[in-house]
Amino acid sequence: MRGFRAGFRLQLSFFRNYPDMLIPLLTAPLFTIIFSMVLRHGGRSDLSGYAVIAPFYMSLWWFAIFNGGWVIQTERWEGTIDYLVAAPTGFASVIVGRISTMMFAGAFAFVEVWLFGRYVLHATVTIHHPYVFGASLLLTLFAMTTTSLFMANLFVLSRSAVTFSNSASYPIYLLGGILVPIALLPGWLQPVTNIVFLSWSARLLRGSLGATPIANAGFDLAMVFVLGLAALILASALLTRILRRAQQTGELALR
Amino acid sequence: MSRVAPAVTAVDLVRTFQPRKQPLVTALDAVNLSVDQGEVHGLLGPNGAGKTTLVKILTTVLLPTSGRAEICGHDVVRDAKAVRPMIGIVFGGERGLYTRLTARQNLEYWASLYRLPGSQIKPRAAGLLERVGLAEKADARVETYSRGMKQRLHLARGLIAGAKVLFLDEPTAGMDPLAAREFRNLITEIRSEGTTILLATHDMVEAEVLCDRVTLIDRGRILATESPRSLGRLVSRFQRIDVDGADRELLDRVAALPGVESIAPGTEGHRIHVDGDEHVSIVLKVIVEGGVVGVRTSRPSLEEVYVGLIGDRGLQV
Amino acid sequence: MTTLRIMRYALLSGAYDYGSIYTWRSWLGGWFLRVLAQVSFFALIGRLLGAEQQTWFLLVGNAVMLAAMEGVWALNMVSWERSAGTLPLLAASPTSPVLVLASRGVYLIADGSISALGALFVLGPLFGLPLPWPRVLLVIPLTILVGASAYCLGTFLGGIVLGYRGVNSLVANVGLVAVMTLCGINVPLAAYPGPIAWISQCLPVTHGLIAVRDVLSGNLAAAGVQALIEAAVAVCWLGICLLTFRWFVYRGRRSGSLEYAT
Repeated sequence: MRGFRAGFRLQLSFFRNYPDMLIPLLTAPLFTIIFSMVLRHGGRSDLSGYAVIAPFYMSLWWFAIFNGGWVIQTERWEGTIDYLVAAPTGFASVIVGRISTMMFAGAFAFVEVWLFGRYVLHATVTIHHPYVFGASLLLTLFAMTTTSLFMANLFVLSRSAVTFSNSASYPIYLLGGILVPIALLPGWLQPVTNIVFLSWSARLLRGSLGATPIANAGFDLAMVFVLGLAALILASALLTRILRRAQQTGELALR
Repeated sequence: MSRVAPAVTAVDLVRTFQPRKQPLVTALDAVNLSVDQGEVHGLLGPNGAGKTTLVKILTTVLLPTSGRAEICGHDVVRDAKAVRPMIGIVFGGERGLYTRLTARQNLEYWASLYRLPGSQIKPRAAGLLERVGLAEKADARVETYSRGMKQRLHLARGLIAGAKVLFLDEPTAGMDPLAAREFRNLITEIRSEGTTILLATHDMVEAEVLCDRVTLIDRGRILATESPRSLGRLVSRFQRIDVDGADRELLDRVAALPGVESIAPGTEGHRIHVDGDEHVSIVLKVIVEGGVVGVRTSRPSLEEVYVGLIGDRGLQV
Repeated sequence: MTTLRIMRYALLSGAYDYGSIYTWRSWLGGWFLRVLAQVSFFALIGRLLGAEQQTWFLLVGNAVMLAAMEGVWALNMVSWERSAGTLPLLAASPTSPVLVLASRGVYLIADGSISALGALFVLGPLFGLPLPWPRVLLVIPLTILVGASAYCLGTFLGGIVLGYRGVNSLVANVGLVAVMTLCGINVPLAAYPGPIAWISQCLPVTHGLIAVRDVLSGNLAAAGVQALIEAAVAVCWLGICLLTFRWFVYRGRRSGSLEYAT
């Protein structure tokens, strides 16, 4: 628990000292403007809620990769990882603590785009189904955090981490149906969207903004949870493997 | 012979590495080491000797391939959890610090990882920053620090939890002489508080000045473990007396004395090799009575021992 | 002649660095896939709106945007030099740093144009966008022009960033999305409020993109005019860049920020 708290607080200090962390907060309003303009120009201002939801996911993904995914690798580059392994508190709890700050960052990102959409762009973003909305948001933040943890481990083991970081964003946005519902994707892609928890989450959040009742909300919520949990299980398995290999081969300290 | 367990023991420690597509590298080859409580023990050897590998194993960062090591009686492999709170590590160098954070933030973070009670974290960090002379720049980002300042911050971090055993790996590398001397004073202070210190270095002066005993290591093997003064005996069992301005007649008289092994011209005078401490005083008496004023006695320096035992490899690794 | 030789070496060293990040396979399987996804992501909004014209508008805009995107990343070139520690050396050398830095990143224009054209010619048919042959070939030089134009802006931004530490990724990303927002990529200029439209006209990409759209719709004369305006805009940004760079380096040397790694 101490390690978790120490890691959490450390990451919050990073938020203050690394301007890069601001990137999603600055680009999200711009994306909101872009999507809004397109929808308005196309005569569908009623869909303005979509313009608010999508940038939230984009910010969330950014945090997942850069606030979370690269955490272990940057420890290696900074040279702090040996010290971390030798410290009394568990390595894992510190890393989990650091990545869990994402939940706050994500919540903040949502509040930001919602307020921007509501008061600057006058988008229709009234939350008609507050309970479903609340549960969806929480589960989404949970799943994104565990996915980020999984990526943190993956980036250590895989040599394609940089390529993935640069290239996975838009494909994930597409498969997650964060702006355009997945129903509009070609048929052969539909099965793939089922394992991307964003697709279930986006449907729920968009649904919460609409007046009509949401069909299968329970099932969708369960899917988000299950996929998030799967990421967590994979992450733990990988982490123990990484630590063991590190102490045996001494490779972890090399850049 | 104390009944207290040694602070550090290593028994037949072996560590090999298998890099990809290259032959097996033996970094440590059956290393045996014992460091007493409260001792300052030097680990002296050239780059690549295995010093860092040994320190990493003793600090639970790396697992040995075979053999055993203990810190204060706890096995570093099986009982790592008990070892970790007891040790402080100073790897030194440019890396190992969160450069965008301040020194204070760095220290407070590590303090919490070492399970310091919440109320103690801030005062302890502040106290250590004061002690290592960083109090004024405590709230500046580490990336603005000079090399010497970073080294001192590393030391502060090593001391954060009041370690029983402190491991220092080349702590003054890259420091200017003044900074290095201040650093050594700090080490002496720490030592007087009863902390056991294992100092890995390739700096002879440092080893000679700070250490109670020095272990010479090269290519993964221990060559010798002695006090710095007695290490000289490994190269030559002779005592040396350097004299300036002795005339031929005096030198002939000295040569005839018991225990005098040889007399050779030195850089400024002559160097007399005497076998055995008991003969030195007689030789000295004769020399001084002969009117010679410039006299120096010495043993082979650690540098000569080093070069003599490890060999003059020049720039080769 | 020496100048040309320096530029050639700089170009090759930049390309070589880039080659160490991507192989053919990772470029196609990673980068190009992302690029296709990016354009599709926006184009599909047209499908959501049920308007084919808009789908095509978005597709063309976001494809050409890819050339601009890599151009804006020129600002990273400057910062990479700094973090590699070579910027002070460059500033001290007799050659103008702009020349070398500009040449190092020229492969970005090439890469961006290839990405843009690749996206257009792969996704165009998939979305049913008419690509009338042979005039569609005019899109190629226009795209390169857009890339070069954005590149001038990118280098200028790189100079600004020299005075500060740690902000180059921030400026690059925000700059990029700002271009996406302001340059008529997703909506026509007519949809912007008056003053914003004026700003758009002064930015790179805007006119080049209109030229591309004109080519595709058959209005070649208008395309020519827009292309010339785009070229003029590019030259202006390059001029601003050359004029200000010396001052940026001077400021960096004075504040000491030339030396710090990002």
